[in-house]
Amino acid sequence: MAKGVLVDIPKCIGCESCSVACKLWNELEWDEQEKCKTAEDRAKEPNNGLWPEEWTSINRFDLEKDGESVARYVKTQCMHCEDPACVSSCFSKAFQKLPEGPVIYDQSLCVGCRYCMMACPFDVLRYEWKKAIPGVRKCQMCATRVANNQETACTSVCPTGAITFGEREELLAEAKKRIKENGYVDRVFGEKEAGGTSWLYISDTPFEKMRFRTDVTTQPLPSYTEGYMKATPFVGVGWAAILAGLYVYNNKGKEPLD
Amino acid sequence: MASKAVKNLSRRSFLKFVGGTAGLVGISLNLTGCGDPATADEAIGGNGWMPTQYNAPGNWPTNVRGRVPIDPANPAIVRDDQKCILCGQCIEVCERIQSVFGNYELPIKKDFVCVNCGQCIQWCPSGAISERDDVNKVFKALADPNVTVVVQTAPATRIGLGEEFGMPVGTNVQGKQVAALRKLGFDVVFDTNFTADLTIMEEGTELVKRVTGELHHPIPQMTSCCPGWVKFVEYFYPELIPNLSSAKSPQQMEGALIKTYFAEKKEVDPKKIFSVSIMPCTAKKFECQRPEMNSASKELNDSNVSPDVDVVLTTRELARMIKRAGIDFASLPEEEYDKLMGTGTGAGVIFGTTGGVMEAAVRSAYFLITGQQPPAALWNLTPVRGMQGVKEAAVNIPGVGDVKVAVISGLANARKVMDQMKAGNAPWAFMEIMACPGGCEYGGGQPRASSPPSDEDRNRRAASLYNIDAKAKLRNSHDNPEIKQIYADFLTAPMSEKAEELLHTHYVSRADDFIPKKSEDKKIF
Repeated sequence: MAKGVLVDIPKCIGCESCSVACKLWNELEWDEQEKCKTAEDRAKEPNNGLWPEEWTSINRFDLEKDGESVARYVKTQCMHCEDPACVSSCFSKAFQKLPEGPVIYDQSLCVGCRYCMMACPFDVLRYEWKKAIPGVRKCQMCATRVANNQETACTSVCPTGAITFGEREELLAEAKKRIKENGYVDRVFGEKEAGGTSWLYISDTPFEKMRFRTDVTTQPLPSYTEGYMKATPFVGVGWAAILAGLYVYNNKGKEPLD
Repeated sequence: MASKAVKNLSRRSFLKFVGGTAGLVGISLNLTGCGDPATADEAIGGNGWMPTQYNAPGNWPTNVRGRVPIDPANPAIVRDDQKCILCGQCIEVCERIQSVFGNYELPIKKDFVCVNCGQCIQWCPSGAISERDDVNKVFKALADPNVTVVVQTAPATRIGLGEEFGMPVGTNVQGKQVAALRKLGFDVVFDTNFTADLTIMEEGTELVKRVTGELHHPIPQMTSCCPGWVKFVEYFYPELIPNLSSAKSPQQMEGALIKTYFAEKKEVDPKKIFSVSIMPCTAKKFECQRPEMNSASKELNDSNVSPDVDVVLTTRELARMIKRAGIDFASLPEEEYDKLMGTGTGAGVIFGTTGGVMEAAVRSAYFLITGQQPPAALWNLTPVRGMQGVKEAAVNIPGVGDVKVAVISGLANARKVMDQMKAGNAPWAFMEIMACPGGCEYGGGQPRASSPPSDEDRNRRAASLYNIDAKAKLRNSHDNPEIKQIYADFLTAPMSEKAEELLHTHYVSRADDFIPKKSEDKKIF
């Protein structure tokens, strides 16, 4: 049921079709400055090339492998956690995890508190600081396409099959098969990270050298606060009732609004 | 009563109301989850446009996907992402016509495999892919009074440039092109046809030496005029490098001679020569940056002499220069090339189309072997003309017998023949191979025709070149008076020590740049 995307890093040739497809489908604006950046430049940026109008980007890492220097291209975007911290942190319900997999954002519900940005373990959310009425921007995993039984824009254009769209469970099995066949690093990034994510990465070079957050917890992030945050509504309503009672008691016999 | 109402709506009472009742209701509603949650349709983005082939339901495979990778440091080709519509035409041409994309295993090692041929530019329907623009470098050199700017024009630019100014496909604008270059401020205008003739002398001599066994290099000899083809061999068939002629391409010969022969004859400081070439080709931009193409500096023993060719401009870039300078191209007079290295024969001009090098070589080989002028039949060698990818011919040369030759254009065609050659099946003595289908006249630097790439346009341009040849006074490379002069005054003889130094080169294997394909049947990654 839940969809996912498998990113096979050694298969990426860095053509950046995916980021162009993202721009087309999501009608994201072109920024002259961003346009001139190379994948190598973006890999050195603190935010991995993600900006309000850049929902995905290709980062190039020059690494050593078996005594040879090699280049690897890594696609960055929202990981679409199974149990997303941004959704749980959003009190106005602007974030939502759809049963198909995508974590989506509806700006009409957003109050602009940016709790989601604090909560995100992968630092993919971007705030529109330059806008008069700003919102938070990130990959939506082409929710309308996925809901219509189409694959995401980026995966539909990948010429080498480096990014594959499909059922998350099937992709996980495929990922493990490819790790065995091709001698990749024995780890599917996204299988357990942050409680599991819809996007899965496999690689033949160490993840930590390509700016992956390898030290991230395997617990779903909302589980840390779920216990006591669940009580919040009851505490809120109960506390309000107590205070209201005290008020009524104290003001007995007084004129209202006096 | 009125004064009491005003008192009742004090700031304090208002805030008490908002913070108490309304706030309490609002927070309670929110915390208990009332209100609509976001749905897919309300998510930001996702209302844009995608090419139809990518709008298939599910993850269905489509025929064409995405686009070719282009290195930001590619010396010849650049892409404007904003114009890309992901139509996949660049992949079509690169993979199927040129057999470059996808003919290696993943992962890539360090650099993208690219022969810089620029056919993707011709196929790109939105103009997203184009040549790296070097126009400003040339304008800067032209503005410097201390620099002698010498320019050469390739055989095929004269029949392409007119299209940029609204003339019919294949219009010959040789004279106007020279006039425009003079008007732009180029000090000396030479013709690459001259070094095309020189190439025939060097390559022809090399071929004769190979056939007679004087030179211990394998037969068939393959042409080396096309830098895209040369890079293709270096990538995919390094074991066939000995078959490549060691002669440089006409552009690099002219470049080397401009900074030595021309500088010596006209007493110009080679350090102050800026050599520009106008080419129908993007791969030439790569070729002029190869470290081997620095013969003048080596010959003169002076590291301050810049590479033999400083800047390569494509036909399109020259048209842009002419437009930027505000020159009315159509009304220009016809002018002549400068002497010394500006005279070319009919054999030189047909270098611009597939089969032309072969035809020119056969004419002069006949002369080199028999010492007699070739018969008129060799002035119209029809089997090697036309747009077929692989053409064969047998030429009867007295004393040698039938010489078998092959002409190939398009790298996918070349790949098939090279595989055949590796299997030991190569009955030819000489092979002409051009990377672009149709040869230079439809090279990656030629004007983008209003229609998609077609043999109709290729034939019209080729016909124009053959027409120039048919009307030429001199039709054999060895009859060119300036060729006779340069051998008498400067180079002594074909393949003399000096000629080897300036006009010949070597090649490097690039097989380690990628992982070779493991099996042929798996075409797409």
